[in-house]
Order: sequence, then structure tokens, then C-alpha cells
Amino acid sequence: MKELWQPVIGLEIHAQLNTQSKIFSSAPNRFGDEPNTNISTVCTGQPGALPVLNKEAVKKAVQFGLGIEGTISEVSTFDRKSYFYPDSPRNFQITQFYHPIIHGGKVIAEIDGKEQEFYIDHVHLEDDSGSLKHFTSFGGVDYNRAGSPLIEIVSKPCMHSPKEAAAYATAVKSILEYLDISDCNMDEGSIRFDANVSVRKLGETSLRPKTEIKNLNSFNFLQLALEAEIERQINLYTKHPEKEPKELIKQGTYRWDGAHKKIFLMRVKEHAEDYRYCPEPDLPPLILTKKYIKALEKNLPELPREQYKRYIANFHLSPYASQLLTNDKKLASYFEKGAALSTSPQSLCNLITVEFAGQLKDTGTTVFSLGIPPEHIAKLSNLIENKTITGKIAKLIVEDMIKNPQKDPEAIFKENPNYQPLSNESEIEAIIDKILAQNAQSIIDYKAGKKRAFGFLVGQVMQATQGKADPAIVNDLLNKKIENSN
Amino acid sequence: MSEIDLKVIDHLEKLCRIQCTDQEKKDLLQRLRQVVDYIHLLDQIDTEHVAPCIRVQQSLQKNTLREDVVKDQLSKETFLKNSPAHIGGMIQVPSVIDKEERT
Amino acid sequence: MNNDLYRFSAKKINELFLKDVITATEIAEYYLSRIESHNGQLGAFLQVLSERVLQKAKRLDQKKKENKPLGKLAGIPIAIKDNIHIENQITTCGSAFLENYVAPFDATVVRLLEQEDALLIGKTNLDEFAMGSSTENSAFFPTRNPWDLTCTPGGSSGGSAASVAARLCPISLGSDTGGSIRQPAAFTKTVGFKPTYGRVSRYGLVAFASSLDQIGPIANYCEDIGLIMEVIGSCCEKDATSLNLPNESYQENIPASFENITVGIPSNFIKNLGKENKAFQDSIHILKSLNAHVIDIDLDVLKHSIATYYILATAEASTNLARFDGIRYGNRSSKAKTIDEVYKFSRQEGFGKEVKSRIMLGTYVLSAGHKAHLYMKAQKLRQMIIDAFDKAFSTCDFIVLPTSPSSAFTIGSLQDPLDLYFQDIFTICANLAGIPAISIPSGFDNHQKPLGIQIMGPQLHDVAVVKYATVLEKAFSIADKIPPLFDREVNRG
Repeated sequence: MKELWQPVIGLEIHAQLNTQSKIFSSAPNRFGDEPNTNISTVCTGQPGALPVLNKEAVKKAVQFGLGIEGTISEVSTFDRKSYFYPDSPRNFQITQFYHPIIHGGKVIAEIDGKEQEFYIDHVHLEDDSGSLKHFTSFGGVDYNRAGSPLIEIVSKPCMHSPKEAAAYATAVKSILEYLDISDCNMDEGSIRFDANVSVRKLGETSLRPKTEIKNLNSFNFLQLALEAEIERQINLYTKHPEKEPKELIKQGTYRWDGAHKKIFLMRVKEHAEDYRYCPEPDLPPLILTKKYIKALEKNLPELPREQYKRYIANFHLSPYASQLLTNDKKLASYFEKGAALSTSPQSLCNLITVEFAGQLKDTGTTVFSLGIPPEHIAKLSNLIENKTITGKIAKLIVEDMIKNPQKDPEAIFKENPNYQPLSNESEIEAIIDKILAQNAQSIIDYKAGKKRAFGFLVGQVMQATQGKADPAIVNDLLNKKIENSN
Repeated sequence: MSEIDLKVIDHLEKLCRIQCTDQEKKDLLQRLRQVVDYIHLLDQIDTEHVAPCIRVQQSLQKNTLREDVVKDQLSKETFLKNSPAHIGGMIQVPSVIDKEERT
Repeated sequence: MNNDLYRFSAKKINELFLKDVITATEIAEYYLSRIESHNGQLGAFLQVLSERVLQKAKRLDQKKKENKPLGKLAGIPIAIKDNIHIENQITTCGSAFLENYVAPFDATVVRLLEQEDALLIGKTNLDEFAMGSSTENSAFFPTRNPWDLTCTPGGSSGGSAASVAARLCPISLGSDTGGSIRQPAAFTKTVGFKPTYGRVSRYGLVAFASSLDQIGPIANYCEDIGLIMEVIGSCCEKDATSLNLPNESYQENIPASFENITVGIPSNFIKNLGKENKAFQDSIHILKSLNAHVIDIDLDVLKHSIATYYILATAEASTNLARFDGIRYGNRSSKAKTIDEVYKFSRQEGFGKEVKSRIMLGTYVLSAGHKAHLYMKAQKLRQMIIDAFDKAFSTCDFIVLPTSPSSAFTIGSLQDPLDLYFQDIFTICANLAGIPAISIPSGFDNHQKPLGIQIMGPQLHDVAVVKYATVLEKAFSIADKIPPLFDREVNRG
């Protein structure tokens, strides 16, 4: 009998805060520029330089804490974490080990239509390292990124599938975006995931040895890496049931090799790392008053979960569509801009998430990248809603809008004679008569109770009119004709 | 009895990245033993009900935070002037074979 | 006209300059020539900023000619300990590691001194990275005591103290982590002041132990300490531990006596002081004759201060000095082929014995390897020491202690680390508690070597400490005594 295995996953998410300056110095918080141009005495570890904490980084960390309903520490402290590496300018990182700024908190995500809560252990502030570039005969160190503000969001080991992990990570990302805490640019590494993963037999209460997969920088990699690692662990346990778990699963650090779709071992942990944490004497404890926290709480922007609920309640969107929109702040605000002008938010949502998304799939472009104004999509939804055009014509106009992103759909509609609706009743009547004559059997079927026959007839009429006939008129006339036939 | 032996010295040598000769290690061993034995005298003091000191300044109850503005940059030229080796604006270091990642 | 300039206080020199008795250029040249003739035997300066100071003096003379406003320290030569940055000048910290390190910025104190038109004349010698009590641990050469050239001037600010004592400049800046300003001040018969932690910005001071380090002045007269404190004791946005306090005058309304002042003496703690006890008792008599109300206080917990200090200071130092890795600046070993060798060899070559052993000790106390949680224990002890001072200061205004258990010792005579650490037994507590403490000359021992006495006050009471030190200085009346070897004009031209 096949054994049932339960994965146990915890995530550490590093998110870069989108402040102007770095966390402990006034150098620009920006990279990608020429090496070592966005630096200060602090972030290059000059002797005699001192860190001074950025107010805005604190604010953003607290906002995130409020966004996850965590406990904001009224006193938190900074610590030094020692390790030698060329991109670490002081050979210690300034982090919050003993007293982090946020404790606890939860994130809600929807998985297969079901709401699920995920728990956060703590969130702390810390500085990023520089970057070491590897060349064939030497290494080059650039400190532009050194000192960028990070929050590290440490979850409890509360996820039990790669899907859950991805859903949790997506929910965290959208909170970060909604609160304007991070740019969440995955390609530039502004969010990175470290995953801790172990598996155990279903029903076991204690945890088996875990491995750590470092520096995953996309949801896709996160899910693939977790799937691969879970499978690897289960295989080891099933192949060697006689062996002790800790003999099989070497505690260590792994990396995901995206090219080979494989994880590989970076290094085995012989014993716990000796980071020699000690308090950072250059930074006094950070004191946050209740008043300060309250004020931020009062002015907290709308969170994705609240927006999700509002979409269902006010716009009558489906939970699925609401989730889809609110997973991505940019998409949601695009939708909202359109919704302000649209008489049918559902139709608008359908156009954005189904019609446009469908046609643009695999093109590498989006409604944003093409620069299609949301107002245009709203106009299109209104044309559908007030029955000026049919769904069929709408699809054609979507195609035209993609080809010509700046063009108003109303203009597209007006300029193309083929898109004009057939609302002349006598013209439609003639076509109906013709169709009915060709499909006598369908009339009999319909009268015998086969309701589908009616749909078939409508389809035939629409086909014959190239989708231009007003469906309401077609329905109406067809009904009358069939009733009167005999 | 001192808990320090040559193995501890070896470990410390690795942690703080200072190469030592055998003679230096012997000297360090003797010195550290003496000092560590001395500082262990503190073990006898009852500190159970004392909170560890996290701030020496009693009067500094306000945060000293920085406004989020860009200023006081260090120029690349000034930075590189002190560097033992640089190339293409980057600090040049020997190849890192062990691309080991830290946190 | 220039006769006996070296005898004057900084304040007097400034007055002479303002009154057109002497030009800034003349002052600079005068002191440069004193340094030139004496520094060889003394080893107080690592670097003399001749060109820089002459340029500044010239600008100052010009400014004066044009009747432009002049700074509070106009025309006063000041020496800077070589662990404090002057932009574009080398900061060695007394270490081979930083032999060629060009400071990329001005320390806040340096900026403030420049603003007030001081003449920065040179960088002074120190124990490597300020770790030591004798200035013998400089990678370059030891500094000698102007009162006895076979003796050390104390440390780590030995160069700063010796330069002032030998009257090569009227004021210098030092740094004090466990007594590094006060003990050399006592050894050289100068006044050394360690302000409240946070009073003076540490921005641009190369850190030894950040929670204990504090920059402070050394001078021959208390009035000069006050004068410079009014300039350097201001809030700095680049140091998060800098205190934002109102400006106070250190020089107005100096009291006439210790009337209505209670002075606490922890007699149990100092009872084993030994041979210098008599001199200290004499000082207490003088205090009493100044109408001080002298009481006994309990500071027995201070017997643990050395162990506490060595845990905290070395732990912080081990992390502060990790940045000296041969990657971005400083020494990179030519033997190194790999990254790991860059670290290992550069640090091996660049650091001296004392620095290495303190880094190792600091790494040890922070390492997860041992079970004793020494660091946590020391933090608790530090709190107990702070509490003990709080309690003591609820019954007295000041605490008076000797500065050092002995007078200056012979170069090379203290080899045992614990003996050397014991040098700091009376000074370390002020750093642990973050309180202001001043050492002033109190007399001489049988070998004509100077002795010092400390006045400590509660945190933020810097002004009171300096003012009452002025009262005591007057009563001791030895401020004008100059080491015989240096008590003469330099033959010039």
C-alpha cells in the first residue's frame, strides 16, 4: 500500500523596501547602475562610519506588520551577525535577531476556492549585502546594493504543499505591493525566497530533518524546487525504510538549478552556523509609541484581502476573478480605473482577465505593456452591456485594440461596416425564415421538449448574420415564429 | 580549569580569519587561558534577577532616526583610491571557487 | 614676543592672536618647530600636518585682516589622535594594517574644530586601534613620557597626552574606551576628560568598542577643556548615539569651593590601593579643606568591572575589526591567492599581537561553542554597575577616585596581560556606566612622576564635572609645572 507523506514547508521571504535611501546611510537605494556609484562611507564599511536608521524603512516594516495583523514591538533592537564574505562590507550584517520589530501575524490565501490561513513567526529589518560577480580569473565586488533595506518575513512551518507555499508567497507579495512597501520586482531580486522543507508520514507529530533551498526568485521556481525536493525526500525514505531519517536527509543548503530543473547541494551543515550574534552598539533600541502605530494603522491603504471582499460585494465578481485581480496590485488598479467608467464591472473583468488575457497569452505582452488605456476597455464593456455589439463582435474589436492599442473601441466599432449590428427586424426575419425552412426537424424537436434545439437555431441565425444580429431580437422573433408555426 | 585548548584556538583562528604560526598559537593559548579563567570569575555572581543592559544612556529615550533623503554619497574614485586592487569600478578579489551563499 | 608661548593655555594663545600680539602663522610655526625638535625623543606624533596647518594659519591671518568673524578656537594648535579622521589625511590607528589608509571624510569633531578655526597640527601616536594602556603597542614606535623618557606615557592616547604635557600643542583629542584619555593624562600631568557617552560624536572615530568609546580632550588647564568641550560637545545626526542637549557654558560661574557639594568615596573598593594611597588621602584632605562634604559610598561591584569590560569590549572589537579584511582598503597580503588567504594573511600581517589576542578573546566570548554565555553575563554585570552608580549618585554629587593604581611604569615592564588590564581598574567603570569623568593632576610620587585624581559625575553632568575640576586644579596649584626636559624655548634659526 502506498504510504501517505506530508510535506512541511516554511518560507523566509526577503523583500527589499522601496525607500529613496539605504537603511543605514543616505546613499541612493538603487542598483543596476555603474558599479560602486550608489555608495556611502557606511555601506562600504569604512572605519569610523556609523549606521543611522532610515525612518521610512521603519514605517514600511510597521505597515507590513499591520497588514498581517502582527504585533508591533514597542521596543526592538538591532544585532550584528558575523560572517566573512567579500560582498559584506563590515563582515557583519546588521539584523534584528533578539528583538525583531514584528511578532506573529497571518496571511490569508485562497487555494482551490478555499480560504486558508498561514502564520508568520516574525518579521525583522536588516541590510542587504553587495554583489560579488564571478569572472573566470577573478571576482569583482560592487557595493551598490549593500545596505539596501530588507524585511525578512519568516513564516511558521505551516505549509503542506508547493501549491500552498506559492499561494502564501503570492499573498505576501500582494500585501507588499498594496502597501507600497516593495517594488516586488522578481527579476531584479527585490523579493527572494528561502524555503525550509521536510516530509513526514501522515499522522506523525514530530518533524523530520529539513533542508534549506536558498535564493529562489520566482513563484515558478519556488514551486518546482519544492516539488523536486519533496519527491527526493520521499524517494529516499521509501527506498531506505530501514535507515534513520537524519542519515538520509543531510541538513544542508541547497540551490535550485532552473536550467536542469534540479536542486543541488551547496554545502552540508556540520553544526549550526556560528554567527556570533551580538547587540549592535551603534544603534540604540528602536522605540515605537502606541500613538505612532495607531496613526499608521488608521492610514493603512486598502489591503488585497479587503479589496477582494469589496469586489465580490460591490462588483458582484466571482471569488475566482476577484482573487485573480487582487493578486496583482497593478492589475487591480487597472481594473478599478476601468470600473469607474464601466456600467458592467463583470463584463469589464471578463474582458480584462479572459478576452485580452486569452488573446495576449504567449505573446509576452500585457494590456499594460501595450499601453491600452483601461478607459477603452471600459467603453468596450459598455458597448456590450448596452447591446450595441454582440460578444462575437467584441472579440473582433479586442483583436483590433491589440493591433492598435491607442485606438478607441468606439471608433473601431463605428469605422468598420462589418461590425454594425443587424437590428433591422425584417432583414433578420427573412434570415430566420430561411433557417427555419432548412431545419424543420429542430422545430419538431423543440416542440417535443428538446430545449437545446432552440439554442441550435439561434446559433444558425447568428452564424448566418456573422454574429451581427442583435441576440435579443433573434430570440424574440424565433420564439414568435416557432409558436406560430404549425 | 580552563576550557580552552589548541582545538579552540584553531576554531577561533578560522572564525576570525587570522592565520597564526604554531608559536603564536601557543602564546595565544596561554594568554587566553589566563584571561578566560579570570573573566569566568563572573560566573559566581548572582545575576538572575538583573536584566541585561541594552542601553547605557538613560536620557536617550527618543529615536535618532534619519529622514529618507539621498545625500553625502561617497564617490567611486575616493572609494577605489584606498583599495588594494580594482577593475572596471569593482573591487577585485581572487576568484571565489566556493560560491557558497550566505543568508 | 614669542617668549614662553609654550607656557600658555590655549585660551591665552587665542587671546594673543585676537589682540594682534601674534599671528596664526607665527603660532603655527612656533609649535611646528617645537614638535620638530622634540618629537624625535618623544614619539608623540605619527604625522605632523605642517603644510596643512600653515595654509590654515595663513587663511586665518587673512580673515583677521579682513575683519571677518573668527571661530572660538582661532589660532589654537590642536593635535588629533590617529584614530580620528581628517579628510584626505592618513589615519593609521597605530596599525600596520592601515599604514596607507586615506580618510575619506572628516570626523564630526574635526569638522567642528575646523569651523571654529582651530589649527590642526598633527596626528598623535596610540596603541594599535586604541587597545592598550602604554602606547607601546603602536605598530610604528612607542611614545615616551615627557617626565621620564624611560617610562610610558600611558595609553592608549599616549601620543595625545605626551604632546600636550611636553607643550608641543596646548590641546589634543584622545579617545577613551576604558581609561585611554584619563590614565595617560594622569601619567603625564595633564587634564584628560571623558565626557558622558553620547556627548561627543563618534562619527569618524575608528571604533574599538562602540558602546564604550568616547572622544575627549587633553589639555594642561581645565579652562581649555571647557573651551573645547563647548565646541565638540554638540549633537551629530551621523551618530545615532549622539545626545541632543542644550548648549551650556563650561567657563562661566566657576564656583569658589565645594561648598554644599557632597563627594562620595568608595573606600572599600579602593582600600587595597597600596603605595599611592597616601597621595589620594592627601587629595581628600584638600577636598575637605574646600568645604566638600565627603561621604563613604558602596561601589564594591566595581571589582568586577575589569572582567565585565574585557568581555564587552573585546566582543564589540572582534566585530568592529572584522572589516579590516584586505578587500576594500588597508593591507592585502601579497602572498594571498584565494579569498580566504586574503583574509587570513592580510590580518596576520596587519595586526599586532595585542589586537589579535583581543579579537580572539572577543570571538571566543561571542562564539556559540562555549556554554557559559559570558556575553550575557557581562551585560547583566554592566547593568548592576550602572545601578550601583545611580544609587551612589542619589547620595552624592560627585565620586572621586584615583585615576590609576600607580604612576607611569617603565617601558616594557608590564608584560602580563592581567597586570596591564589592572591599570584600568579605576577608569573602566565610567565607560561601563557612560558617565563623565575627568582626571586632573594631583601631585607627584617619590620619583617625581605625576599622579592623577578623577572626578566623576552622573550622566549629562559634564559641565559640573569640569567646573569642579577647575576648583580642585586651583587648590592643587601645580598646573603650571612643565616637565624639565621640555621647559625651554627651542633655539630657532
